[in-house]
Amino acid sequence: MKQFLQNSILQIVLALLIGFGLGLTYSWLLSPVTYVDAHPALLRADFKDQYRIIIAVSYASNKDLPRAQARLNLLGDADPVSELSAQAQRMLAAGEAFEETRPLAQLATDLRQGYVSEPFTATPFPTFNTPSVQFTFTPTESEPQPEVSEEATVTPAAPTVFFEQTPLTPLVQATLTLRPTFTPTAGPGAPFVLMSQETVCEPGMSKVMQFVLLNAKREQVPGAEIIVTWNQGEDRFFTGLKPELGDGYADFMMEAGTVYNIRVVTGGAFVADVRAPDCTDPNGAAYPGGILLTFQQP
Amino acid sequence: MSSTKIIMALIALVIGVGLGLVYGWIIDPVEYTDVTPDVLREDYRVDYVLMTAEAYQTDFDAAAAARRIAQLGSQPPAEIVSSALTYANVNGFTQDEIRTLQTLLTAMQTYQPDGSLNP
Repeated sequence: MKQFLQNSILQIVLALLIGFGLGLTYSWLLSPVTYVDAHPALLRADFKDQYRIIIAVSYASNKDLPRAQARLNLLGDADPVSELSAQAQRMLAAGEAFEETRPLAQLATDLRQGYVSEPFTATPFPTFNTPSVQFTFTPTESEPQPEVSEEATVTPAAPTVFFEQTPLTPLVQATLTLRPTFTPTAGPGAPFVLMSQETVCEPGMSKVMQFVLLNAKREQVPGAEIIVTWNQGEDRFFTGLKPELGDGYADFMMEAGTVYNIRVVTGGAFVADVRAPDCTDPNGAAYPGGILLTFQQP
Repeated sequence: MSSTKIIMALIALVIGVGLGLVYGWIIDPVEYTDVTPDVLREDYRVDYVLMTAEAYQTDFDAAAAARRIAQLGSQPPAEIVSSALTYANVNGFTQDEIRTLQTLLTAMQTYQPDGSLNP
């Protein structure tokens, strides 16, 4: 050891190592690099949640889908759309107000669809996605209303001339050509109609109320709001929060013996007196089954 | 130990410290995760303020806007929005975006923490 310490080269190496250690201690622990230009991907999870909310709320205002997508990409999530859905679910589970989660669900829906959709709103009556026809009989300035002259009222032949000049005739003709557009067509906000209500007797689906919402093309519809009420409470949720089960899928856990009323907010489809059906397993034991409700826009 | 050796050892120690600092600050600095929004790069901070302003255009909820901006630091919200507006003017933001920021700035300048707006 004494010989070791007397070796000059080893002394220098030892001093270098001690110095290196001191330098690392200072630079990593005592005075580490201070970040001032951080990237959003480095944000803490709860701040990322806040960031997603502000992106979604901003999107609800400006409807700029590419920009919202670009902003979400900054957060570095592997699947930004699923992350939005998952956050909406977390917020609902945490008891956050339903309206707080709506922008997230709407943005997730639009990103999945790839286009900006109008938010679903409760519409008690069908809405027609065709231009409305206005029956306007008011003469315009460019086509002044013919003046009734004394000569016209006196001369029997004059009214024919006045009828030809009246501005009302072209408008009536235009209205007649547009009449076919009154045929109702299903738009994004068209009402859902209950197409089927099936009992699901599978032990794994016991007491599960499943919803599948389809549009007129039988494509699943995400982001549709469903309200389930029962004598002791109410629950609200969206379709599409479990994308692995389908964009138009949602489910709800029933209690045996409880009667539920269901309302699909879009269009106001209402189903009353839904309860977990009685099923029997192969051994003859009874258990509460599940229900599959399929709604479709006409 | 001779004085020469002591000096050599001290020089080696100083070089070692220098190498340690270079390694710890430049080559492999401490990597932060879980940072807070107040250390975001300026362009991201401004975009965050712009998003808040866009949301305010719809909900007119000054309290919510102030809460969101407060995440960007301890300065008054109006000051943060004002800085964002300056950045936007210098960096070629659109007139719509600048107008949106100005609307939020006005709201933050008149906002009181109790939720009311000064006349």
